[in-house]
Amino acid sequence: MTSQLAWGLVIGMAVSNIIIRWVPIALLSRLELPDLAQRWLGYIPVSVMAAIVATQVLRPGGQWMLAPDNPYLLAAVPTALVYRFTRSFLGATATGMLSFLALRYLLG
Amino acid sequence: MLRGAKLGLPVFLGYVPVGAAFGLAATAAGFTITQATACSALVLAGAGQFIGLAALTSSGNLVAALIATGVVNLRYVLFAATISPHLRKVPRWNQVLLAFTLTDETFAINIGDARAGRADRFSMLGVGLISWTGWTLGTLVGATAGSALGDPSKWGVDFAMPAMFVALLVGQITRRRELIAGALAAVTALALSLVLPGQWPVVVAAITAATVMTAVPR
Repeated sequence: MTSQLAWGLVIGMAVSNIIIRWVPIALLSRLELPDLAQRWLGYIPVSVMAAIVATQVLRPGGQWMLAPDNPYLLAAVPTALVYRFTRSFLGATATGMLSFLALRYLLG
Repeated sequence: MLRGAKLGLPVFLGYVPVGAAFGLAATAAGFTITQATACSALVLAGAGQFIGLAALTSSGNLVAALIATGVVNLRYVLFAATISPHLRKVPRWNQVLLAFTLTDETFAINIGDARAGRADRFSMLGVGLISWTGWTLGTLVGATAGSALGDPSKWGVDFAMPAMFVALLVGQITRRRELIAGALAAVTALALSLVLPGQWPVVVAAITAATVMTAVPR
């Protein structure tokens, strides 16, 4: 990869990212949103997270993995439980990675 | 700000390994250590950076790579819109900094904190700052260590991002209607992934689920 191309990606992504994140804040923090819009936005985070988890766990790397011995799917269970009962983000992430490694090893 | 940094500490610890994975991937693709670290320091977008890098490596086309990363990062429009009502009294230059440090994880923490009535601009900046530090530092370590660590997947890095998202998802589900919204979005995203490329299924499924839940009366 040429140095020019690499810097092009860095600068291009930096610019596009700040625009995507800042413009909605700049516009919407000046306006009072109607109740309906606020309710709609209230459902966005849980919907985005659920959609990301479903696709990352059942389609890791963009390939379907629907078999019951899918290590991504199985490792999600202890991760969710640890977070549910400890509210520890780090504990949940560490549990997830360790169980994933163990499962991948056990399931071949 | 210190309270925010404390809140954001788990994000810091989660970002270091994933940032290191990006550092490894970027240097493997031909980035210098400076370029890889600058990328994380200036962009701060986990999945977006991985996708942009992969697209540039496979196509060699900068425009295609920028479109790919833009689409992956579209969800930030929704996050930014969701958090904006809580930023009404925040000065503009602060809003720019908060926008810059808006990620899936900082969003989840700050929106939860804001809805509980505890967040202010300093706590949110603290969350952002410590997360940015973890991501940038992780990338620097990964890019520098390079081949010494070997194949990153050996360390379970493949599951680092899914694990973070699983924890974030569990944290978001506090009521029955959120559980229903999540289930609806998950099924929709999987169905859409049969027909839509890249991250589009996630974006469209989230919009669909939120719209259905808003339209259906309690």
